[in-house]
Amino acid sequence: MKYSPAAGTARLISRFTGLGKKYGLEWWILVVGALIILAIVFMALFSGTIAPFSPYDQNTGPQLIGPNAVHLMGTDNLQRDVWSRIVWGSQTILRVAVLAAVVSSVVGICLGLLSGFSGGWFDRVGSLVMDSVYSFPGLILAIAFAAMLGPGVINIMLAVAVIYIPTYFRLVRGQTLSIKEELYVEAAKAIGASRLTTLWKYIFPNVIATTAVVFTLNVADAIMTEAALTYLGLGLPPSIVDWGMDLAMGKKFLPSGHWWLITFPGVMISVLALGFTMVGEGLAEILNPRLLER
Amino acid sequence: MKSKNIFLCVVFTFFLACLPAQGFAKQTLVYGTTEKITDMDPASAYDFHTWEIFYNIYQGLLKYPPGKTNLIPGLAESYTISKDGKDYTFQLRKGLKFTDGTPFDANAVKWSIDRVMALKGDPSWLVTDFVDHVEVVSKYAVKFVLKNAVAYFPSLVASPPYYPVNPNVYPKDKIIRDPSELKGGKLVGLGPYKAVSFKRDQEIVLETNPAFYGDKPKNDRVVIRYFADATTMRLALTKGELDFAFKTLNPSDINDLQKSKTLETIKAQGPYIRYLCFLTDTPPFNDRVLRQALASAINRKALLKKVFLGQNSPLYSMVPMGMWSHTDAFKVAMGDGNVALAKKLLASRGYNENHKFTFDLWYTPTHYGDTEVDMAAVLKAQFEGTGVMKVNVKSAEWAAYKDNWKNKVMPVWLLGWYPDYIDPDDYTNAFAGTAGSIGMGIHFSSPLWDKLFVDGQIITEPRKRSAVYRQIQSMWVDDVPTAPILQGTLYLFAQKNIRGIMLSPTLQFNYGPIHRVK
Amino acid sequence: MKKSLARYVIIRLLLTIPMVFILLTIVFVILRVMPGDPVSSMLGGHAPEKVIEQKRKELGLDRSLPVQYVQYLWQICHLDLGESMIFKERVTKAIADKLPATVELTFFAMIITLFMGVFLGAYAADKRRSSRDYGIRLYGIVVYCIPVYWMGLMLQLIFGIWLNILPIAGRLGARTFASDFERTGFYVLDTIMARDFTALGDVLIHLVLPAFTLGIVLSGIFVRLTRANMLDVLKSDYILAAEARGIPHRKIVYKHALKNAFIPILTMMGLQFALLMAGAVLTETTFSWPGMGRLLLERIYLRDYPTIQGVIIVVALVVAMASLLVDVVYAMVDPRVRY
Repeated sequence: MKYSPAAGTARLISRFTGLGKKYGLEWWILVVGALIILAIVFMALFSGTIAPFSPYDQNTGPQLIGPNAVHLMGTDNLQRDVWSRIVWGSQTILRVAVLAAVVSSVVGICLGLLSGFSGGWFDRVGSLVMDSVYSFPGLILAIAFAAMLGPGVINIMLAVAVIYIPTYFRLVRGQTLSIKEELYVEAAKAIGASRLTTLWKYIFPNVIATTAVVFTLNVADAIMTEAALTYLGLGLPPSIVDWGMDLAMGKKFLPSGHWWLITFPGVMISVLALGFTMVGEGLAEILNPRLLER
Repeated sequence: MKSKNIFLCVVFTFFLACLPAQGFAKQTLVYGTTEKITDMDPASAYDFHTWEIFYNIYQGLLKYPPGKTNLIPGLAESYTISKDGKDYTFQLRKGLKFTDGTPFDANAVKWSIDRVMALKGDPSWLVTDFVDHVEVVSKYAVKFVLKNAVAYFPSLVASPPYYPVNPNVYPKDKIIRDPSELKGGKLVGLGPYKAVSFKRDQEIVLETNPAFYGDKPKNDRVVIRYFADATTMRLALTKGELDFAFKTLNPSDINDLQKSKTLETIKAQGPYIRYLCFLTDTPPFNDRVLRQALASAINRKALLKKVFLGQNSPLYSMVPMGMWSHTDAFKVAMGDGNVALAKKLLASRGYNENHKFTFDLWYTPTHYGDTEVDMAAVLKAQFEGTGVMKVNVKSAEWAAYKDNWKNKVMPVWLLGWYPDYIDPDDYTNAFAGTAGSIGMGIHFSSPLWDKLFVDGQIITEPRKRSAVYRQIQSMWVDDVPTAPILQGTLYLFAQKNIRGIMLSPTLQFNYGPIHRVK
Repeated sequence: MKKSLARYVIIRLLLTIPMVFILLTIVFVILRVMPGDPVSSMLGGHAPEKVIEQKRKELGLDRSLPVQYVQYLWQICHLDLGESMIFKERVTKAIADKLPATVELTFFAMIITLFMGVFLGAYAADKRRSSRDYGIRLYGIVVYCIPVYWMGLMLQLIFGIWLNILPIAGRLGARTFASDFERTGFYVLDTIMARDFTALGDVLIHLVLPAFTLGIVLSGIFVRLTRANMLDVLKSDYILAAEARGIPHRKIVYKHALKNAFIPILTMMGLQFALLMAGAVLTETTFSWPGMGRLLLERIYLRDYPTIQGVIIVVALVVAMASLLVDVVYAMVDPRVRY
């Protein structure tokens, strides 16, 4: 694929304004995904207004009552309103997942750029370490990290972030390696551009497009990982409202028929992850149908 | 003709004589539990489930009859105590053998006790804190020489660390985890059952031991199935895959099963308790007024309703209900959920709505089951409900939790207690006696209390002992080294055709009397 | 020919070693930085300081980190995973007890994933741009976003509780005894070898929900992959030729095209195996499956370093072996890939 920096960005914009008629399903997937994300972000930003009760209030109504007019999603055994906990819980999961994706992308991209650009010993060792971590089941490493760091929002964010660094590293390193060989980079070197300038002005912008897609898919994955960690009881103290934890706590009431305790958190996790996935997949298909060989 | 008749009679008689002697067909019982077996070694196991297995495959010198709390002879027919209360001489039953032929005698007893003391496993303090050494007096007589006179020594002897094991099978210098590590690969004691197969975390199969000296069990085989979670166990029980299930079902499952038409509920007051511990030698809780404030704010009934759906019982003293000398000390002094009193106490220290008393409350999320999270959340809400406290809830897994109390990291934390021996001393001295208190991270120390504890150990006259512990309980309300919250109820559910299940506050559960009727 | 294939295998095997080594190092360091002392966890609340110190020395925990590391590496070279710190058992035994359960689960889950993924993907490619195609593609995206454990819980609720036709946990029913037939730990094999077909039925029915749960969630990836590859293959000339020759359409799609699209899918399997192992941890927790995932979680709580490290090593090896196997098959088929 031939890129030049300015043309690449312009193409991006024109494609976005191309609209649904041109791309059909992919565009609608993107739109629906974006709407889902917006709705949940809205929920997170305005939790206080949307939620009828405090998520900690242990006197909102009868114990373990099913969904009804007052409690849209029922109550739990501590008489807390499930809907309120869902609303407030959106903050936790968004915060952790997005931050984790940001951290891992920044670290991964920097390391990838450096590694691809400098080559040699650093590149060899870096690639080997990253490949090892990449090929290993991420969740298991995240579990070990989360257990080590203990409960806390920052801690779980770090545990999740670490396992995605290799993804960005590999992506960016690969792109850097191929772009490095391009003619215009050679030209830049010829006119005396410093290595840093080359990195920043020429390589980085071309890498960004692919990375954007990977980022959204990464957030989706981070959501799943966060929910898995808290479901297993790792990562967050109970004073923080979280969908995964509520799911774990609600599990034991299932045979007694109290289905709402696990259904709603589960649906929300799926929907949020789906939102980001849809945006990512939609973007990918639109930008370049062959961009991701997953 | 005649000879033919005679011949037939002989054949028939012979045939009758060869018939199996039992009065009923081979009976296998399937018992489900979420507990785990730890080490198959009385010198090391320190949990109630493994002890329960030992009650059935081993024997102690003394034991409790099923469902009761009085001691009766076990492997020892009788015992005498010396005048100074320090020497206990046991007369052993004669002629008993382990199934490999090794005779059971005073040597086996001494060897086993020496082994426990040398291996220094978890429960070894139950021996080493009290016993100085053991002497073989004669082939069937053994003497325990104690460090100090202790009134409740016989109940100690009934606990598994004192159980004699086969010297030819157990290695002297190693703790055994798995029966496969033993010589012969099988676990055989002197009890009513022997363990014939064991698959960790899945099942253990027990069959009756023909060499047992006592009453033969009413069933032939007991299979214990281990479940990873209570929900699965509940479903297996309702589907009929289990004959009975014990420890530990979820509160919601217990409520449902109690209403079941096909299952029998067997309930007993458990000896296990839950309470708050305070770090009493460091601010803020070195001030006993603040400790009193927290203790008075606890609304036990409300907590039980929320967390346990109404199961278990509120506890107003560290000495549990059902134990002699128990008094509802905290209820009498403070009531339950006494917000007004809590506020008053905190106000006396300058805390009010604008200047709240802030502290960390700790719990451990898995060691006591997953109701702990809820307990901490409810307590936090109750304390903050006074309007003058602010609570930060923190947690640590068991390993880190224990570290924390050793390192004085936690100002107040939730804890649970299963008794080592059935005596008020085990529920009190361990927390407020100077030595025990350090080990528990409470660091409470008072010469007056220590003197009372020593008295409690030495005095043998029951009424005088009781008076000592009642005094300790009323002192507890003033100094509050710990604040009792609840006492557990034991729930066992069985199919309606199962008989002979007897639960006991000693947590000793004998499989022998259990059988299925048609 | 044979020689270069063997070379490929050997080189790939050698490459596995540094990968396992790196993972091992990472986990080793993490574990020792963790708060919470395993020794006091082991010895219980009553142990005096002296005893704790003695135990710590016994376990080699009093030495510095680099020394402990070198010691551990030396041990590994002797293929010794050490002894559990908390319980007196060899780590290899603990893992060997649980590994077959996890492998059996992931094996069946993989079969379900492949079946569902590949056939749905081929079908979607065939019916391109139809509503069925869109539906299947949507399925492909949606299904991965469903948390494995939630899917498991929902299936337990529906099939285990409401309909009451499937068991919801464990490998065996309460009245089937593993000791009757167990030999390798792979119960499907064991029951067949023991000719105990009632037990076999019990084993299989217990596999249904967990394998299905795990398999379904990962099938989405294969759906999309197969569809993409099939779309390519279906455009090629020889497919056109086959159609011209009058070969029935279904045969073209599901026999000829699929066969050719399959190879890249096979390479994907290697990478997906890691996802399967991750999903297996969650599935095992939900279904009380006595496998390595549960072992890992349990031992992390207890700070049982040797067992945790052992599990990580074994998982890394299993994943590497699966990936290697797949690559070897690919290399056998396509010589261009070899070194």
